[in-house]
Amino acid sequence: MNSFITTDELLLIAPEISMVILATLVIILDLVIKNKSILNFVASFGLLVPIALSFNLLDGTSQFAFAGALRVDYFGVFFKIITLFATLITILISEKYSKKFDDYQGEYYALILISASGMMLLASSVEFITIYIALELSALPLAALITFIRIRSSAESGIKFMVLSALSSAILLYGMVLVYGFTGTTYIEDLSQIINRSLINSELTFGGGALLLGVILITCGFAFKISSAPFHMWAPDVYEGAPTPITAFLSVASKAAGFAVILRIVYSSFSNEQIGMDWSVLIATLSAISMTLGNLIAIQQTNIKRLFAYSTIAQAGYIMVGLAALSSLDGGQDNAGPAGILFYLFGYLLTNFAAFTVITLVSINTNSDSISSYSGLLKRSRLLTLIMTISMISLIGLPPSVGFMAKIYIFGSAMDTGLQWLAIFGVLNSVVSAFYYLKIVKIMLIDENENSEKIQLTTNMSLAGLSCVFGIVILGIFPGSIIEVAHRAVESII
Amino acid sequence: MISQGIASSLTVEISFWVISISTILSAIAVVQIKDLFRASLFLILTFLGVAGLFILLGAEFLAGIQLMIYVGAISVLIIFAILMTREIEISNQSHYMRILVSMVALGFMLLAISLITSTDWNLIDSRSFPQNQTDEIIATVQNSIPTLSKMLLTEYVLAFEMVGVLLLAAVLGALALVREKK
Amino acid sequence: MNFQEILKYFVYAGMIFTVLAGIAAYLTLMERKVLAWIQQRMGPKYVGFKGILQPLADGIKLVIKEDLLPSWSDRTVYWIAPIAVLVPALLMWVAIPITDGIVLDDSDLGLFYITAISVLTVMGLVMAGWGSANKWAVMGGLRAAGQLVSYEIPFIMSILAIAMLAQSLNLTEIVNQQTTFAFILKQPLAFVIFFIAGLAELGRIPFDIHHAESEVVGGPFVEYSGAHWAVFYLAEYMNTFTVAVLTTILFLGGWVWPQMPFEGSLHDFLSILLFMFKTVAVIYLIFWIRGTYPRLRIDQLMAFGWKLLVPLSFLNVVITSIVLFYGFSHFVLSAVSIFLTGVLFYMISNRSKKYDSGETVRIVSSSQVRDNQNFKEPL
Repeated sequence: MNSFITTDELLLIAPEISMVILATLVIILDLVIKNKSILNFVASFGLLVPIALSFNLLDGTSQFAFAGALRVDYFGVFFKIITLFATLITILISEKYSKKFDDYQGEYYALILISASGMMLLASSVEFITIYIALELSALPLAALITFIRIRSSAESGIKFMVLSALSSAILLYGMVLVYGFTGTTYIEDLSQIINRSLINSELTFGGGALLLGVILITCGFAFKISSAPFHMWAPDVYEGAPTPITAFLSVASKAAGFAVILRIVYSSFSNEQIGMDWSVLIATLSAISMTLGNLIAIQQTNIKRLFAYSTIAQAGYIMVGLAALSSLDGGQDNAGPAGILFYLFGYLLTNFAAFTVITLVSINTNSDSISSYSGLLKRSRLLTLIMTISMISLIGLPPSVGFMAKIYIFGSAMDTGLQWLAIFGVLNSVVSAFYYLKIVKIMLIDENENSEKIQLTTNMSLAGLSCVFGIVILGIFPGSIIEVAHRAVESII
Repeated sequence: MISQGIASSLTVEISFWVISISTILSAIAVVQIKDLFRASLFLILTFLGVAGLFILLGAEFLAGIQLMIYVGAISVLIIFAILMTREIEISNQSHYMRILVSMVALGFMLLAISLITSTDWNLIDSRSFPQNQTDEIIATVQNSIPTLSKMLLTEYVLAFEMVGVLLLAAVLGALALVREKK
Repeated sequence: MNFQEILKYFVYAGMIFTVLAGIAAYLTLMERKVLAWIQQRMGPKYVGFKGILQPLADGIKLVIKEDLLPSWSDRTVYWIAPIAVLVPALLMWVAIPITDGIVLDDSDLGLFYITAISVLTVMGLVMAGWGSANKWAVMGGLRAAGQLVSYEIPFIMSILAIAMLAQSLNLTEIVNQQTTFAFILKQPLAFVIFFIAGLAELGRIPFDIHHAESEVVGGPFVEYSGAHWAVFYLAEYMNTFTVAVLTTILFLGGWVWPQMPFEGSLHDFLSILLFMFKTVAVIYLIFWIRGTYPRLRIDQLMAFGWKLLVPLSFLNVVITSIVLFYGFSHFVLSAVSIFLTGVLFYMISNRSKKYDSGETVRIVSSSQVRDNQNFKEPL
């Protein structure tokens, strides 16, 4: 009970601590330094410290810290690294964009770093109060970041995000309260034991319903976070109004953190044996709705950020296939589903950031986010066209890209667990999505544009874009190592 | 089990019903009244009612916090913002989907009530806690502040510190959003 | 709880109200006398011996005066506002002890309860401002909201430092801890912050911007008259008395410092006398300040609160916790606190010098404004 903070515990959250220290350092530098472009350099190079510290924690052991509130294991550290890479690339591609914020660049970078530290904590917290506060820690700075440009649409997005994230937090908290009231514990690992022990002797199914309601409300709360089907409405407006690098950050890091918590909760507390019903039908349905809705609406979009918002809803649907495979009754023995989720998220990180590198640069250059502003991109910058094309190929799921491998893996796991219809549905959806992804490629390669001024890439931008593309291709051909890591990560939370 | 630790009598019973009914009524008034200023006053009444419920539950500290933060700070800020808007007296217009929304809300409420009342809440209680631990819990509830403060700095120290970072983020965000336009 | 017990509480409530109302009435007389002395006048002197019945006369006059209701006003809000101001002022007295044992509820949460209740006053002021349907009143209500919320933070933070020092939130316990050294000797900084923030919470000069006559012509109270106006002033003087009592309890050693040599009921009587003497001294200080200081401008008030009092009160809490955690002697605390108090006063005087230098008001012709596009408003 009476555990004070020990040095070991501090070492376990060293990545998060160093993130917060980095954020404060950026603010302080912002105060004393006139040349704001140094801040980008400091923030991006400073991130190497938490990345190194995270890799240091990747030793396969699982340790508890802070009276059991945190469980630092392979799984958590994997998500921390995903978040850190997402943050790093976000900061790299913000280099030019953040010039818009003149004196307030320090706050911009600091807020990104703080939000990322919240997501990192979210990935390894195993206690409801900590989960909730980590969630708020990641969401609140995002609300400010979304509104950062201070134009009308940006303010609208910010308000929408703020209100809806407050609403989803309220739903989540209500669910947590019911679960806590029923079980008397907030630790998700104790939950499963208590539920098991009590339900054995009970005639009432599921303890009479409050627990069921609680679990459903918790699921709804997190479904908002990953922008899955019935809770997706916020995504397009918010993505459109937000600063472009923040849109990228939202679509990848925020989603990854949401999936991390869902996986953890589903795995340790509310798996099928405890709940006594088949979750997979519910999740599979939501997944199918998500991908269909996302893909069909994405076709009509003329704004690239809105298009990516719907694309991200569809991608959430694909990822949820892995979740459905996990919770399916007759399967999940080899953890292909959850490992697929991890692999898919890693691939999605690379793919989406490759695309958003291009989107950011084009939006700075043309001051427009419409898809037509991509016409004739081939003449303006060959490198950008290459990056965008490869990213589109990966988003559709064509070889040789990481998207292809991830889809093969995740749909394969669905096939194995008896969800053949879902897998077929996914493939059909990928075909539909090819339509609008390839449309962008066509516009870039074939359409003419009177503006043929060359787009200049900075070192940071080309570094971010090229490393993502490199990752996409390499992992598309040799996915083995990451899949192995994903399996180890999933095994660490069982 | 734990509720045995809190004195229950006719007075408590009457106060409970009075407070909860007035809380619910004022919560309804918040969304129904057209005058924004009055709606915010009813919001304050709701907050006060919640504080009263906290006291009845033996959580005096939470009641005080509720007063200090919600009544003293948040509602004042809300009113501050309201007084700077135009057409305060007719602004709280009902939405065209209000019937649908109230049906959904009512449905959810009935569902939640039926599920909560049908649940056997003692399922866990009776099995997990031995008698001596129950006494300890009752003692904790009756003298909650020392326990609360100790827990905040031991078991929940991480959450406590995270709230500090969250406040830093809130300050940064607020500063950045109210900057002067160039 | 039987009928007798409930009746008992009603009697207590009646007693508290009557006594406080009497005290508040005579505080008005005291204030007028003190101000008169400061301004070399006589003050009220015709009603009764040397004006001793003046409050009574004022009260009768106010009660029989016509109660006006502005035709555009929001009636319910307008009539509830005085009550919303008065009730918290009375509620606080549930937990305030006069001497050892004479207190309605000797709660372990006393101090916390008082801070929680004290924040409710602002609502009544805002309601009065809005209900009057008068632009001065609304402005006054807004000013009150801004001011009271801002100064609550240093107010509570300075109390927190005392609670840490006493390791208790029980007011009797806090007083009993001061038998050897009153907390003003250990925490002069907290005392200064508490006193200044308390003045601001009361809305007394130099912090009376929310009912500043020359700016918002009486603020939230502009439309009120007769008995309702009297209720506001009753509440204000009750609050003045409460702040003085709290200052005495928290910082001046209440009834125990210096220690009384006697035993028994004589001891109790002398304790109450000592307590009242200190309270009156604090009230005198408040009136003295009212008589001698000019009013702050609203931006000065906000800057003073947020840039000076809030950081210093946080610093004070940090220093107190360091001293307590490492078990340093309390003399260290006193020394640091005295130093910081010096810093506070230095900054106040420095700031006022800056404002005296003519920087605040600059008279420019309209052509100067027109020609200079970058012309900036003086702060």
